[in-house]
This record gives sequence, structure tokens and C-alpha cells, in this order.
Amino acid sequence: MRIKLWGVRGSIPSPGADTMKYGGNTTCIEVDPEDGTGEIIIDGGSGLRLLGNQLVKRYLPEKNIDLDFLITHTHWDHILGFPFFPPIYMPTTKLRFYGPVTYEEGGIEEIIGSQFQYRYFPVIKSELSAEMEYNPLRETSFFLRDGIKITTKYLNHPVLCLGYRIESGGKCFCIATDSEPFRNVFPANPEDPDYDKVAAEEGEAAAAEENRKLAEFFKDADLLIYDSQYTQAEMDKDKLGWGHSSFEFAIETAFSSGVKKLLLTHHDPERTDEELDLLIDFYRKKYRSISGDMDFSLAVEGSEFFI
Amino acid sequence: MTNVDRLKVITRYIDNMPSLPVTVSKVQEICDNPKTSPVDLYKVISLDPVLMGKVMKLINSAYYGLSDKVTSLVRAIIMLGMNTVKNLALSSAVMGMMSGKKNFIKLNSDQFWEHSLCTGIIAKKIGKDTGVPRNEQEEYFITGLLHDIGKIPLITSFPGEYTKMVERFENGEYKNIIEAEYDYFELDHTVTGSMIADSWKLGEPVKAVIVSHHNYENIDENQRNIIYTIILADYFANLYGCFFSGNSCPSAPVADVFTEVGISEDYLTGIEDFVKDEMDKARVFLEIKN
Repeated sequence: MRIKLWGVRGSIPSPGADTMKYGGNTTCIEVDPEDGTGEIIIDGGSGLRLLGNQLVKRYLPEKNIDLDFLITHTHWDHILGFPFFPPIYMPTTKLRFYGPVTYEEGGIEEIIGSQFQYRYFPVIKSELSAEMEYNPLRETSFFLRDGIKITTKYLNHPVLCLGYRIESGGKCFCIATDSEPFRNVFPANPEDPDYDKVAAEEGEAAAAEENRKLAEFFKDADLLIYDSQYTQAEMDKDKLGWGHSSFEFAIETAFSSGVKKLLLTHHDPERTDEELDLLIDFYRKKYRSISGDMDFSLAVEGSEFFI
Repeated sequence: MTNVDRLKVITRYIDNMPSLPVTVSKVQEICDNPKTSPVDLYKVISLDPVLMGKVMKLINSAYYGLSDKVTSLVRAIIMLGMNTVKNLALSSAVMGMMSGKKNFIKLNSDQFWEHSLCTGIIAKKIGKDTGVPRNEQEEYFITGLLHDIGKIPLITSFPGEYTKMVERFENGEYKNIIEAEYDYFELDHTVTGSMIADSWKLGEPVKAVIVSHHNYENIDENQRNIIYTIILADYFANLYGCFFSGNSCPSAPVADVFTEVGISEDYLTGIEDFVKDEMDKARVFLEIKN
């Protein structure tokens, strides 16, 4: 399986002199099972523009573009690349979208399509010529194509968000781009006026179980791309509930799950290259003695991995 | 109206069943507030039988498969997040609100709400005091809250007939509310409740209680404890004055029910203050005037 990172920045595209090394494009990951069935693209952040151009060169005019999108969630930074994805305007293109169900009016089709209105963009939805199919997903497991098994897991983010586990040819790739550790949101202190013993205990048990299921979801992955937008100190200070993970949680969870290689992603838009270099050095030293054989590094835009 | 026509009206109503007017404004206030605490969200959903039923339905049908049924609202909030549950609650609460409000007020939806909530509170308390495992206690609450849900489609779809029926029942013309409902509608609220349980996929314990809380001779043995507990909670709620629609002088359940659950009539006096406190807390939370 070949995995290429076209965008690894969190929240908003962040071009500039301070983000040249790790990149400023938002989430877009290309997964090629290398079985000739075509690419799987995870999310349509601003990195999708570059991948789209590449796909046109790769396939046209001899072949048509025919691929699957796995959408983790529909926050702007994960879908804003679609208007600049050239294959979407080609009648020969076939795209199948998979993404979290939503009870709100309009599923992923409407959310992605809503960008194509004259008020936002000069092309409207009816002008998209590609053949597109939308498939809402719950927590589930299914075969995307022969021999390619997809498993999904709900993540803790302020909108319904899925992590994906892709298994093919005996190899396993997992991704969770926006994933705060589950925590008990119900008061656990009996002195709290809102304290409810059953809710507190149920909340504690549910959070622990979800975190255990998360670790299980990544189990023995050959490559895991995981959210590390903040440090634990930043989380504790004022980022709880923002839907992101810390370096500490990402590294410790990946290690406990037997992950072979971990790429830390969704870099905060304010984080400069220099700061990211300092952070990865710090965490390598901190976890040197306990991370065993697990290799971990920062996700870099444009980098490519083979598992 | 023929029985078939009546069933059509009821089915249509169940598909668009509104939340109780008593909680709607609080739901809107809580769900529109970005700083809402999970506890407030949990409370406001828990205090409304319609909302609780619909939110649990949506969670289980939209987000989870039948094999992974989520039975606790606390768990749903932690797994799916506040925003998803807020959206569910808001859309469930306001859906069809205006059409339902008018008719329901005639039969005092506050009384219905009080009786439902009181039954839920007592059921959870009995469950806790009789050793029901902690993770099942919330199910006792939800089931108590929802046991009479089948009355809502009857009251709202046929308000004139239902009011008249209650008057005649209170004048002693019928043995019990089930007989009265049958006389008027050729079905009773356990039947409409069962339709709601199916439509909302409320799960076996809730459905069994809805179906059997007035007739417990042939019950699902697996659900015996929860059915008997709700029967007692229903009875106690009426004795405390939290009665609704002609159930103000309920006959006591047979001794077997007390024995099976493991409480006595004396237990009632012991928990009255607790139940009244809990009811007061709910009224304060929803800003309802006594």
C-alpha cells in the first residue's frame, strides 16, 4: 500500500515562510492499495487541489478517473478542496463518497455541494459533470472493493467524525485526523451541585470504554496517522473540548496499540516549522525509553510511505 | 370514524410527534447556548418522555446498528458528542410543535409530564434500592418516563372525544381507563404506545412495559422485574398526586407484584420526600411555576 500526504495542516490552509517544511495545506491523504483498483482519497482539504492535478496527469487521456473518497467529517478544512479538484468537472470521472451519517438536514452530498453556489464560487452544483455517489457510514466494517476492508470508528470531535482503518494485502493503515481523547463530561465531584452518581459513573465507564475501543481500532497498524494538534499542556490550559488530541495521547495510544509507525498530523496553523522541530525533538527524548520499536515522526506535506 | 381511519390518523401523528410544550422552550434555550453543560443537556432530554424516546430512537437507528444498541443517554453524549445530541434534541423538540401544542394543552400536558417524570423517578429509585445493577438503573428511569406515551396520540388526535371519555370515566361509568379507551377508540394507549415503541425502536424492556403496565397476567418473563417495578412506580406516582387522565384513584397492584420487586407499601412513605425533591428540582430547572 502506498500512502501519500497531500495536506497535513489543521484548521485552515497556512501558507507562508514559517510553514514551508511541514506544509500549509489542509488534510488530504492518498492511499493506493497498489492492486490496480484505483486510489482511495481521505478528505478533500486544500491538498486535494494538487492531488487532483496529479490524477489528471496520471490518468488522462488514456484512462478515466474512478476512485473512492473517505470523508472523516465535514468541517471546512476537510472539504474546501473540492471546488479546485479538476476531475469533479469531467463527465468521465466516477467518484464514490463515503462519510459519516448526519441527522441534520442534508447529508454529505448537500454539505459538499453547498460550496458550489454563486455566493461562494462561480460554478454551481449542477455544473459538476462527474458521476458521484454518496454513501453515509456509521461505525461499521465493510469491503470497499475486493480485498480492501474498511472499518470505521466514531471519534470525539465537535461534529460526527470517523476514523478509518484500511486493510489490504495483509497490511493495515489507520487514520484519525481530528480525535480528542474521550472523557467523562459529567461532574465526578460529589460536592458539585450537578453531581449525579449514576451519570458520573456511567460517563467515566463510557469514556474509558471508548478510549479502549480506539486503541483496539489502531491495533497493530503498520502506519497510523493521528491528530496531535496540541501539547498536553495546551489541552489542559484551554483546549479541552476542541476535538483534538495531544502529542502525548497520540504517542502513548499508538504505542499501546502496537502501531509500527506513527505520523503526527493536523498541525496547528499557528505552529511554525521551527516550533514543530523543537516539539518532535522533545517528544523523541521524552518517549525514547518507552516507545520501543515504534517509529514516530511529524507528518510532512508531500511525503510518501510504502507499507 | 372507522377503526382503519383512526389508525391512519394515529400513525400519521406518531410519525411527526411533537415534544411536550412544557420542555420545548428549555430545549431551545439549552441547545442554542454554545456553553451548555452536558448535565443540562442530559437533564432536559431526560425530563421529557417524547424527547427522550425520540433521541434514543435517532441515536440507535441513525448512528448505531441494532447489535450495538445504546441504552444510556450519558453514553450517547460521550460517544457522539454534545453537538450531535443537541441537534437531535432540538430537531426532535421542535418538529411539529405547533400542531401538537394546541390540542394537548386542553388535557393539561403539565399533568401528563408530571406523572411520566414522577413514575420515572420512582422506578429508578426502586431499582436502585432493590439492587438493580447500576448500568440498568437509567433504563428503569427511561421506561417509567415512557410508560404512558401511547396516551399522547389519542389525546392529541381526538381531543374532544378523549376529554369526554375522561369525564365519563371519572363519573364512574368505566371500570378502568383501558375499558374507557376501548369503548371510544377500539384500542387503548398500550396499543398506541406499542406502535410508538415499534416506530421509535425503543427496545424490548420499554415496549414490554408499555404493553403490560395495565395487564400483567401474561407478560414476558425476561422483563418481569422492570414491568412490576413500573407498575408500582405508576401506582405510587398516582398516590403522590402525580396523576393523569382519570387515574386519580388507582387500585393497588396485587401482593405478588410487591413481593416480586421486594418492597412494601411502607416503602412508599420512606421515599416520598426524595421524590418530591426530585420533582421540585425538575420544575426549577424547567422554570415551571408550581
